[in-house]
Amino acid sequence: MMDETAMYQQPTEAAPLRIIPNQDNTPDGVTQVAIRQLNFFYGKSRALKDVTVDVPANAVTAIIGPSGCGKSTLLRAINRIYELYPDQRAEGEIEIDGRNVLDRKYPLSDLRRKVGMVFQKPTPFASSIRNNVGFALSYYERLSKSEINDRIEDALKQSALWDEVKDKLNQSALGLSGGQQQRLCIARTIAVKPEILLLDEATSALDPISTAKIEELIHELREKFTILIVTHNMQQAARVSQRTAFFHLGELVEFGRTRDIFTNPVQQRTQDYITGRFG
Amino acid sequence: MPSRLITRRIVDGLAFLFASAATLFGLFWLFWILWTTLAHGFAALNGKLFTEMTPPPGSEGGLLNAFYGSVMMILLALLIGTPLGIAAGTYLAEHGRYSRLAKVVSFLNDVLLSAPSIVIGLFVYELLVLPAGHFSGYAGALALALILLPIVVRTSDEALRLVPDQMREAAFALGIPRWRVTSRILYKAAATAISTGVLLGIARIAGETAPLLFTALGNQFWSAQLSQPLASVPVVIFQYAMSPYDEWHTLAWAGAFILTVFVLGLNLAVRLVARRGK
Repeated sequence: MMDETAMYQQPTEAAPLRIIPNQDNTPDGVTQVAIRQLNFFYGKSRALKDVTVDVPANAVTAIIGPSGCGKSTLLRAINRIYELYPDQRAEGEIEIDGRNVLDRKYPLSDLRRKVGMVFQKPTPFASSIRNNVGFALSYYERLSKSEINDRIEDALKQSALWDEVKDKLNQSALGLSGGQQQRLCIARTIAVKPEILLLDEATSALDPISTAKIEELIHELREKFTILIVTHNMQQAARVSQRTAFFHLGELVEFGRTRDIFTNPVQQRTQDYITGRFG
Repeated sequence: MPSRLITRRIVDGLAFLFASAATLFGLFWLFWILWTTLAHGFAALNGKLFTEMTPPPGSEGGLLNAFYGSVMMILLALLIGTPLGIAAGTYLAEHGRYSRLAKVVSFLNDVLLSAPSIVIGLFVYELLVLPAGHFSGYAGALALALILLPIVVRTSDEALRLVPDQMREAAFALGIPRWRVTSRILYKAAATAISTGVLLGIARIAGETAPLLFTALGNQFWSAQLSQPLASVPVVIFQYAMSPYDEWHTLAWAGAFILTVFVLGLNLAVRLVARRGK
């Protein structure tokens, strides 16, 4: 038998991580999501502190930072999914297309049609693959059967799942692998044609091959959508994003081009985090 | 072998022994009950049981009117109790999850769940039988529905709570309104657990005697009308077992056997449903 202690050996002092970001240098696009003085509360505890940031259109913005820094909270504020829980609230403004979506008068179904979200754990509904993708579609639009089928096909192609499922659209989505389920969730989300995609650690429950597929997908989706991605994986942020926001203890520490954040950060805390000194 | 391992083995062995003994203890009584009812009721277990009415003393007959009455009252109780129970369970788990009212309702439901069934029988007697001036199948069905209701409320509440919040968030994130999320996604995800609850509820009310004594009363003759006193299997068993006639005793045993097998079958069906749901 293996010596048990060997499995739990402490790693030796890690060499500082060297992360080589992509060299993407696209000019500043228009601002799609303008976040102003956003504060977020879980009961009495404040999870986001005066966050102000302009998220550019048609680019991937990565949100990084140690656990509990407010990354996911930021995404959950943008589509107001936090409203499911009565003790959570957001203050400040999140402007999309010139309107403050945090305004209670802003209709939730409009907001969520505009802003799609994919979660950490794949959440296929207990139904066929076809129904999963078409589910929200039939709620938003009056479409003929063939139009619905076209849209389902489109969404599955865009999420690079079509070839794997085209012969079993009527089978249960629960029979798919984890990676396929997550791409199905992406397909389901983009089927209603949102403008903004929120990916909340969408690859952290997946194997490396599925992760690579989804990263590739993010790369392609960027043409059509504004993407915000929360990730624990700094290499992933460096690979897929054009902009990176570094959060720490609920504050936005630094925001800029991914290239700059990873090679030449301004703030000491950012430097420490990306070199693996904490987090 | 180190002494800690030996202790573990011993504890493991003891636990296994205890668990097996407990299982055997339970099974022993079940089989004894089945055997006793079968042995005593064997003479009446034939075609007549399902085709003839309950006989007058001293002659042979069957339990057809009792089976019919039981089936009708259970069906009607299901018709009342299931939709109401699922609706209330949905309120508790989904709409009112964080509200004080839901907590109160949930507590009251627990009270109803543990209310003695004879009290429910008396309540329905006051409510329906006295004003109408006679016993009826409707009153019996209502009493059974009141027993079924809290079971369905509790199980559907729990079944919906078992659906992970991620599923809700994923559905709401698509912008789907609550009623549609509940009806199209959450019910589907909780269907197995909810139907398990309903089946167990049927098993429970199928054997209830006390709430029927003051409501449906019983009926020696064939009657298809729910507005009239109606026979039922548990009440016939009760009356016949207390009687001095041998033929009636045999019929009571046969009825008890059928009832036990029915409840056992329902429980097995629950297992099957639960397994298929996985």
